[in-house]
Amino acid sequence: MKRSIPLAIVMVGGILFIIQYFIPHQHSQTLFDYYTEWAPIVGAFALVLGVGSLSRLHSHKIKRKAKNWQYSYAVLIPLFAVPFFALLMPESLGGGLMESMGGTRTTQGVFDFAYLNVQIPIQSTMFSLLAFYIASAAFRAFRAKSALATVLLLAAIIVMLGQVPIGELIGKWFPKIGLWILRYPNLGAKRAIGLGVGFGILATQLKIIFGVERNWLGGAGE
Amino acid sequence: MNIWEKMLNLDRRWIFLLIGIACVVPFFTPLGLPILPSEEVISIYDYIEELGPDNAIFVGFDFDPGTAAENQPMGIAVLRHAFSRNIPVFITAVTPMGQGLAAMAIDELTDETRADFFSFVSWSEWSAIRDQGITERAEIEEAWIAEGNLLPERSRGFIFEGRDFAHLGYLPVFNLVILGMSTSIVSQYPTDVAGNSVEEMPMYQEHKSLREIDLAVTNAGSAACTWWIIYGREKIGLPVAFGVTAVMATDYYIYIQSGQIIGQMGGLRGAAEYEVLLLDNDYTSEPGKAFIGMDVQNIAHLLIIFLVILGNIAFFAGGFNKKTKLKGRR
Repeated sequence: MKRSIPLAIVMVGGILFIIQYFIPHQHSQTLFDYYTEWAPIVGAFALVLGVGSLSRLHSHKIKRKAKNWQYSYAVLIPLFAVPFFALLMPESLGGGLMESMGGTRTTQGVFDFAYLNVQIPIQSTMFSLLAFYIASAAFRAFRAKSALATVLLLAAIIVMLGQVPIGELIGKWFPKIGLWILRYPNLGAKRAIGLGVGFGILATQLKIIFGVERNWLGGAGE
Repeated sequence: MNIWEKMLNLDRRWIFLLIGIACVVPFFTPLGLPILPSEEVISIYDYIEELGPDNAIFVGFDFDPGTAAENQPMGIAVLRHAFSRNIPVFITAVTPMGQGLAAMAIDELTDETRADFFSFVSWSEWSAIRDQGITERAEIEEAWIAEGNLLPERSRGFIFEGRDFAHLGYLPVFNLVILGMSTSIVSQYPTDVAGNSVEEMPMYQEHKSLREIDLAVTNAGSAACTWWIIYGREKIGLPVAFGVTAVMATDYYIYIQSGQIIGQMGGLRGAAEYEVLLLDNDYTSEPGKAFIGMDVQNIAHLLIIFLVILGNIAFFAGGFNKKTKLKGRR
């Protein structure tokens, strides 16, 4: 039962919406409209599962005093504090009590403060660190050890110079060759990979719809 | 340990320091090198240039703060272009963070302390004009000025919430939201982020579904931008343009060649190119953040290329290409 009902739902739903796509009729459209209204609501339940699972994992870590258990507080406190303040100040849910959202520039709640002064800088900083690591990795790993590695190295240098105005000052052909690399060799490779991935997705989806692939059940009913 | 080996074992903190300097110094000594817009960016600009108050576009702030340095200037540049031409803009977000970043973009464009700002008129402020049954863009502005609201000096014009833009914000499972909007925008977004009824907005009354939208520009930091192609372009023929990070840009040239997107702004360079087009065509009087940021990218790229060449010189001059293993820890 645990396996056959979900499998039946997936099979019926999958086949139904494959057929629906090719039927330009009002009833078909009404069915599709119902689906687009219901699906995000059903999808939002995943959030409940996610929050529940995350809370359980970290509360267990704290209870057991597992390695680095202190950091679990850094997950749990904001996890519940942010919705709490958002509920207290629903007008600031957008991420900032700003003029365009009915607020003023001078007022700032706890939620907005956390968003603007904690969340944004943290995410920006994490991504910015990439520049430092890429520079260090490029110095250490980018070697012309073989013919293929040399081609890769030269392509990288040309594209990098072609992407910045200073490259054009060094040589007017840098942007042209850089664009050529992006538009032709890169495009050919990407298209081949894209087609492969596309066919892979199609095959996997058909396998899921027809119950051949059952890993998504997560071992239910076994 | 000889000099080449020492060079190859250079402490990574020196490299970090050099990159840090390369990122900071150009802000104090701008190079201001000319940037030539590429075909991919010009095509987006030209497309929007053909639109006016009778059209409408979607602008997606589909990114998180991590990629805001690249994506935010794109969003701001497209919004500036649309606001200048009185093109109604529906603003959406694929991520919760994107919603706040979109609000910040609107605030930046309407900040009276900045040059070339737009004078923001909130939904409630012009309710009396709506009550008179006035919904035409030109008539709204006329009535607003007749009420004694003069355009401030240095302002680029009024933007009326609900007529010139609607900040719809974030919704989960956004691919389904796009599908839903292909039938009705209000079925997915009954209200905007401020709680105003979208159905009452004149811009919605004229453009009720994605089928009546002329362009969707998605500024994205993830593959979520492809949803606009799969569910917008391919299902209902919605014209789509991309603004993506530099590392993503190479992935999406295939969609330009196939004609599935009308153009693409790739990374900070793409944003800077759009800013240059706005500057050259008098939509703004000063360069934007991306143009200024390109100085940093100039120096950083040169530095990385210099480090790569240096690493290779040391590698071959030291004869390490013949050895199996390098000594040293770093």
